[in-house]
Amino acid sequence: MKQRNPKILILGIGNYLMGDEGVGVHAANRLQEMDLPIAFEVVDGGTGGFHLLEYFEKHEHVILIDATLDKNELGTIRLIKPRFATDFPRAMSTHDIGLRDMVSALQIMDKMPNIHLFVVSIESIQQQGIKLTAPIEATMPILLNKIMELANQLQQAQSAVLI
Amino acid sequence: MSKRIVVDPITRIEGHLRIEADIENGKIKDAYSSGTMVRLLEEILQGRDPRDAWAFVGRVCGVCTSTHSLASVRCVEDALGITVPPNAELVRNIMFCALYMHDHVVHFYHLHAMDWVDVVDALKADPKKTSELAQSISHWPKSSPGYFSDVQTRIKKFVASGQLGIFANGYWGHPAYKLPSEVNLIGLAHYLEALEWQKEIVKVHAIFGGKNPHPNYLVGGMACSIGIDDVSGINAERLALVEQLMKQGKEFIEQVYIPDLMAIASFYKDWGAIGGGIGNYMSYGDLPINGYKDASSYKFPAGAILNKDISKLHEVDLRKDDEVQEFITNSWYEYKGGNAQGLHPWKGETSIKYTGPKPPFANLNTKEKYSYLKTPRWKGNAMEVGPLARVLVGYASGKPEYKEVVDKALKDLNIPVTALFSTLGRTAARGLESVLVAQWGLEFYDKLIANIKNGDTRMADTTKFDPETWPKHAVGVGHAEAPRGALAHWINIDDKKIANYQLVVPTTWNASPRDGKGQLSAYESSLVGTPVANEQQPLEILRTIHSFDPCMACSVHLYDEDGNTISRVSVLGD
Repeated sequence: MKQRNPKILILGIGNYLMGDEGVGVHAANRLQEMDLPIAFEVVDGGTGGFHLLEYFEKHEHVILIDATLDKNELGTIRLIKPRFATDFPRAMSTHDIGLRDMVSALQIMDKMPNIHLFVVSIESIQQQGIKLTAPIEATMPILLNKIMELANQLQQAQSAVLI
Repeated sequence: MSKRIVVDPITRIEGHLRIEADIENGKIKDAYSSGTMVRLLEEILQGRDPRDAWAFVGRVCGVCTSTHSLASVRCVEDALGITVPPNAELVRNIMFCALYMHDHVVHFYHLHAMDWVDVVDALKADPKKTSELAQSISHWPKSSPGYFSDVQTRIKKFVASGQLGIFANGYWGHPAYKLPSEVNLIGLAHYLEALEWQKEIVKVHAIFGGKNPHPNYLVGGMACSIGIDDVSGINAERLALVEQLMKQGKEFIEQVYIPDLMAIASFYKDWGAIGGGIGNYMSYGDLPINGYKDASSYKFPAGAILNKDISKLHEVDLRKDDEVQEFITNSWYEYKGGNAQGLHPWKGETSIKYTGPKPPFANLNTKEKYSYLKTPRWKGNAMEVGPLARVLVGYASGKPEYKEVVDKALKDLNIPVTALFSTLGRTAARGLESVLVAQWGLEFYDKLIANIKNGDTRMADTTKFDPETWPKHAVGVGHAEAPRGALAHWINIDDKKIANYQLVVPTTWNASPRDGKGQLSAYESSLVGTPVANEQQPLEILRTIHSFDPCMACSVHLYDEDGNTISRVSVLGD
């Protein structure tokens, strides 16, 4: 992996119109409001799919935030290190078709970044609206903390290597 | 005795879509298309500021996000009587062209090609012969034997790692695959090339729209400032990048997409007689060159064709109460004034009443309501929308640009014009209009540059942006030709807020359930008569449904007559 962007990319994905399904986008929006240090780049990936390839090729570390229908308790946060498309949880989101294909293609082309995937368990992708449900809203501060904890770790490890 | 096959494509992008098809003697006898996911965008928009609507509708779908925003700003501008400055129109057009180039190429290589290209067979191809073939059909430089053998090595390594990824769920080896191994290898190599290429063209959206996905639009114009020396806005450097991206995009379409499309199509000419469907086509028109209000200036002409009669083009009026109407005879909704009537979108209602089976279920009861999609009709007719409709309307309008590309393709493939009314025609039309759009994109770019050089940097008309200037009540309609077909938004504004907002999207035209008169919509109709060689691997259904570009990858479930799952096959990505 050469000449990648040293910034830690924090990429929230999901559909903002579909309630909890948009948790990744909500997280990205809130991080954007926090005015984070320049070592971090926060992107609202929306339902991006293939459009997001550039980000995956450019950065060494990508922290991805998404919703999942994995039958865990509502609001459960898990950190996964997917290496292959099949490592992504099923029924992840409204956009995982593009995402999974993209991950496969990144592998074929030897361009996979280090992906750190935070998944938040939700109950339904049928709910509509731009508001999160109370349990997911309550999880949000914890999620943001976890994201920033990991982002800081990655950034420190990276600076150590550079020195 | 007929068997029912259930094709349940999980359209995670645009809501779930499911096809149930009855098969008798190896052919589809009847088919039902059902949208199984509800969307209440109309409810989310009610009571909001009309100037914000574009941002919400842009989130409906990540694939053609910007066309919804475009239709939205146009409907609000229509309601408030705003005319956008020429530069804003040109920027919208350039973004529109970039979207098409991206969307059509991605559809062809990543969502549709594997219905025709057997990737497993591609591994058997001789790289030297592949190289000779590639060089005989195109000047594209990446065509050496070493290049093709490298692609094979990468794929073999990938498969050997135990990961099939994108290739896990195909019907590889199905007898309906007809391409020589070398053509399969070209298709596979360009799958990867197209993926790399597509990330470039989307930058046009980020330049003009501030970001991508979900670029910014503005009621009254565009939200970017423009000027050759403008440091923070769209300056000479950024404009040069736009030109470069548009040129590269045109090159890719002309040297990769079209040669591949023609090479593949030449082995599947029988599909020029399959999947035709209703034979009624409609385009709202788009790409204005003299202002959106002057429909005669559109690069994509507007009009309707009935019963495959391309000698007659009918006028479409989106304002007339009795032209575009939505019916709910077979949809899970109810209308206050009774469910038998059709409602023009300005009077549209979105009140859900689900009466279908409780999910998960084996089969829908297609004798009753079976979809969340309403059934739109134009003067009572079922209409197909999309690339084929646009190309046919363009051809019927007699525009020389259309004549040229269509006649050349027919001649090269040695097929009659009637072969366009088909699955093959739909897939070919998408490529042909990509050629036109790539040319037009550069025309718009040149015009924009000429305007700026002449000192015109106006990008928005904000004289009516202040709600105080608005009438108490206003209605508007805005249309756009989305890559998948005719799209329109209708708005009612009361006391400066959205009172009603209705979207009639292309997939609703094409994928809707049959109407009260029993007339089938495009998906259902196009499947009737389609041969299915192996009902456990209904590749033929995928070919036809994918030819519409349903904005999704598919997961296919197969059931026997008792509704038991006998196998489940997924396609692309699931």
